[in-house]
Amino acid sequence: MPAGFRLPEPSRFFIPHPEIEGSAVARQRLIVRLLAYKVSFTLLVFIALLVIFQVFTPNHTFFQRPNLFALARLAPDLGIVALGVGILMICGEFDLSIASTIPMSSFVFVKLLGTGVPLGLNLVVTLCVGVIMGLGNGLLVTRTRLPSFILTLGTMLFWKGLLYAASRMMPIGIRSWLPAGSWLENMFVGIIGGVFPIQAIWFVGFAVLLAVMLHFTKFGNWIFVTGDNETAARAMGINTNLVKIISYVGVGVLCAVVGMMQCLRIESFTANQGVGFELKAIASAVVGGTSLMGGMGSVLGIFLGTLTIQMIENGMILLGLPAFGIGAFIGAVVILFAVLNKYISRFSTR
Amino acid sequence: MADVRSVSTGKPDDGYLVRMVGIDKYFGRVCALKGVDFRVKFNEIVSLVGDNGAGKSTLIKILSGFYTADRGEIYFEGKKAHIGTPRDAKALGIETVYQEQALAPHVSIPRNVFMGREITKVLGIMDGRRMHAESMRTIERLGLQIKDTGAVVEALSGGQRQGVAIARVLYFKAKLVILDEPTIALSVKESQQVMAFMKQLRSEGISVVFITHNLFHAFQIAERFVVLARGELLADVDRKDSSVEHLSQLVISGHHEEK
Repeated sequence: MPAGFRLPEPSRFFIPHPEIEGSAVARQRLIVRLLAYKVSFTLLVFIALLVIFQVFTPNHTFFQRPNLFALARLAPDLGIVALGVGILMICGEFDLSIASTIPMSSFVFVKLLGTGVPLGLNLVVTLCVGVIMGLGNGLLVTRTRLPSFILTLGTMLFWKGLLYAASRMMPIGIRSWLPAGSWLENMFVGIIGGVFPIQAIWFVGFAVLLAVMLHFTKFGNWIFVTGDNETAARAMGINTNLVKIISYVGVGVLCAVVGMMQCLRIESFTANQGVGFELKAIASAVVGGTSLMGGMGSVLGIFLGTLTIQMIENGMILLGLPAFGIGAFIGAVVILFAVLNKYISRFSTR
Repeated sequence: MADVRSVSTGKPDDGYLVRMVGIDKYFGRVCALKGVDFRVKFNEIVSLVGDNGAGKSTLIKILSGFYTADRGEIYFEGKKAHIGTPRDAKALGIETVYQEQALAPHVSIPRNVFMGREITKVLGIMDGRRMHAESMRTIERLGLQIKDTGAVVEALSGGQRQGVAIARVLYFKAKLVILDEPTIALSVKESQQVMAFMKQLRSEGISVVFITHNLFHAFQIAERFVVLARGELLADVDRKDSSVEHLSQLVISGHHEEK
């Protein structure tokens, strides 16, 4: 490790002051601990934005049902993918090719609808598209040992090129083959009781499942140590290549789910599905406290991070700001959090 | 062999925990090791010394399964051993502790101690409480004091980090522990702490190979010194037959004094 590895002894932040009595010390420690935990900053910004948008949107439309409904229906698209991308970043790798995996699985899904295969089989095959594209990325990154940012930029362009050629960039509607109200549609884009979009349940479900996997299982620990110190992980007998490949496959599967979800929601395949997701997913993870160097992050953080980013978009539109300029604000937030993460990690203990 | 057997520690072997015989290693056309013999007895601290490029790391990497030798044999507890991967070495009970490379800095102490060998309940869910209790008990056994047991490794001092890495091999019942330059970036006090850990390992019946540039450290703790120079074995001497001056003369000149 380079010399910069040795940081000033952080434990001195936690030395209790002798004059403060026990419970106050405990409280002080708890507060410092909470602040040291990166997610708390994301949470603070998240709550602050909720308040700001509620107060400043004309007629307080932010917290009204139509807007919340739209958020719950749309945010899971990027959210589900961001969960996978964030976990992959903790493992020390990037995946830009999600912007191609999403429309590719949507395309395969629609094409299979046209052939009339049973929906269940179609679902499995579409998920396999995600598995294969994830596997491709994983093998490429672990075999070549080159920066995954560049390699997956390559696979993104490669698959996108093939997809554009195959689809001629024409949208393909699903209604000629799939009547409304199929079980698959109810499962992915149904609206429970006519008020609650099921996508939100998928998003929360994936988040809980992945949080348990990442924070409580053995494999989750392998993801952290692979991103944190790959040499050490390998020396301890962890197959770090396999850990990375599985993480890439996970991202691919989540992309396939989102590809199908979007396709069912807009009742059509379009070639520009997922455009821009590749960087927004990384931005979500960064806002959620994920380290760009790997080894640090949390599912709760990524979850809040992606909601924050999407809420900014939504809230600023409601505020009547020019829609095309919103990127500037999101960019500023990402930079703020990247800087903040670096600063916080100097005295974080967990 | 018969008389060697008679002085053994009563274990079914030839008296040595490890015997590496006639080890050759080439990288392309460069000869890194040539006919090197290296032995470690039971319950012994051996120091492996030599200048940069003498072949110390290469020899150790062969023993810990990162490289395979081009020629030569390895015997472990008297039986011929095939060490092709780090996993093979671990299965035999050979553990290597590399300076600063052994731990994940942003991960907690228990998760570092159990890295790759996590204690699990069902479905791969880790038993966090047990991992915490077991790792802290081992750290105490080693004589290491850590106040904030929930801290990540980055928050520890250099000596404490070495302690965590050594606690790991102690917990997993290693028979031979190889320490690659464990005192190189440490303060005087921390170095003493790490050497105390080594003594603790030996008192638990574990043999230690201590690789170092610091002959004062080596002389303070090791019972035997193996000196390599330019890929060849230069000397294998007991402490009672040597001195810091003698060792440094060997390391610096790379050959024996004219006698």
